[in-house]
Amino acid sequence: MKIRILQFLFFLSITVVFSGCLRLDDNLYNQSRLTEYKLDNYTGETDFTLDYSYHIPDSLVHIFTLPSQAPGESAPTAIYAIYIGNISHINTDTVIMYCHGNKDHMDFYWQRAKLLANTGNKNRFGVMMIDYRGYGMSEGKPTEDGLYADVDAALQWLKYKGLTNERLVMYGFSLGSAPATKLTAEPRSLTPDKLILEAPFANAETMVQDGSGLAMPAEFFTGLHINNALEIRSVQQPFCWIHGEADDFLSITTHGEAVYNNYNGTYKESHRIPGAGHSTVPATMGFTNYSDVLKTFITQH
Amino acid sequence: MSSAIDSKLYKNSVKLCFLCASVLILFFASCSPNRYIKPLEKHQDAANLSLGGPLVKLGKNTIPIPFITANYGYGIDSTLTGYTSLNITSALYGNLQLELGATKQWIKQKKYIPGLSTALQFNLIYRNTDAFKVYPQLDLNAFWEYGKRKNYFYIGASNWFELSQKRTLGETQQNHWIFMPLIGHNFTGKKWDINLEAKIIAPNLSNENIVVDYWTPFKNRGAFGVYIGYTRKF
Repeated sequence: MKIRILQFLFFLSITVVFSGCLRLDDNLYNQSRLTEYKLDNYTGETDFTLDYSYHIPDSLVHIFTLPSQAPGESAPTAIYAIYIGNISHINTDTVIMYCHGNKDHMDFYWQRAKLLANTGNKNRFGVMMIDYRGYGMSEGKPTEDGLYADVDAALQWLKYKGLTNERLVMYGFSLGSAPATKLTAEPRSLTPDKLILEAPFANAETMVQDGSGLAMPAEFFTGLHINNALEIRSVQQPFCWIHGEADDFLSITTHGEAVYNNYNGTYKESHRIPGAGHSTVPATMGFTNYSDVLKTFITQH
Repeated sequence: MSSAIDSKLYKNSVKLCFLCASVLILFFASCSPNRYIKPLEKHQDAANLSLGGPLVKLGKNTIPIPFITANYGYGIDSTLTGYTSLNITSALYGNLQLELGATKQWIKQKKYIPGLSTALQFNLIYRNTDAFKVYPQLDLNAFWEYGKRKNYFYIGASNWFELSQKRTLGETQQNHWIFMPLIGHNFTGKKWDINLEAKIIAPNLSNENIVVDYWTPFKNRGAFGVYIGYTRKF
């Protein structure tokens, strides 16, 4: 009998010794790969589809790769970027750096990028969008440090083309709120002049605690250090927060309000959209209203 | 514009990525069937493996998520059994999650009047000094033995208690009690037991605005778990 108990204890010991080999971090990224970008010809799922009045001429659509190197990496990773606008005008234009969400790739977010490019007027603002490493056609594997490095690689390119701090607007949607907030609070290549967050998440621990109903540490499940709710405290630039009241993925209360309430900078405005879910804010607001909110914020604050 | 459909599609897709995490999260508080509803014999040892989890909607299917715990129990006397368990799934994710507890039978069964037992258990989850939690648990069980083999049917309630007063960003922790009513059956052999249990997890809490669609008879409340356990007695 005692031998069997010892066998049982041995089995438990082996389990403990070899434990810790799994983490959920990799599962948190929801990227999908592409072999080419189709943009307007993309037939996969999108949040919405704009009519032809939002069409962007081919001459203003630029797809290219950028080298992105996170701290500690020995070699750069090639990531794909799209710039909407006239590259030769970057030295005078206002540019929105759009940090997309966790799902899919730039084809999925192309409609959103077009909407931003047409905010205020036809091709009023330049729009920069990238696929984070591991997303779309970008090489590599998603990591938290990689998110920041990839967005900063885009900012480096914009800076090289003549963009200056006062004409840079940072926009983060959902997962994109992490690099947007981080690089606004702790600027690297450029210092954004304004920050717009749509459906931001507070931090991983809030997700854990919302899901469990308990005050559990996120470290039990993930090593992600993203903490927009704390990072936003270091943001001094004007801040615009947009969140759907019916967001059933990232609660407006525990995530959005936590970020908004922690902002202590010079100016902030909030837009709580009745009836809007996580991905339906522009459609629920109406594209014109959505654009007007952004244009007013960008041009008047 | 079918924005509602788009939203549903988006959520269905994104939630796959968070599925593992969220199921683990909730299931850490509901990862095993109740232990030793009926205490072991005096000086009897038992080793148990249990498998089970909450039911989640994944695409068109509803599936249980399997979680594994290993348990050792010892009959201190005929009404009191001490036990300890290791959550193997939690260990695979780098956490040492242990159960330490004891079941005490207070009332013997008299015909249709059930035997009654309670179990006081401490659930310890340790990753590092910054990530360490203790959740006390109190189980209340009523069981009815029948037949020559003394199989028994049981009902009960498991209760987890959250002792922390604050959440991650300093907000007040609103919920301090996770209530889990349950029903089960134990098939009793001479040297083994097989246990089946169904548990309603936290019907007092909303399951809306989180990333997983749990299947539950209460629609937007809590989750529903099923478990199977095998016990070898020595």
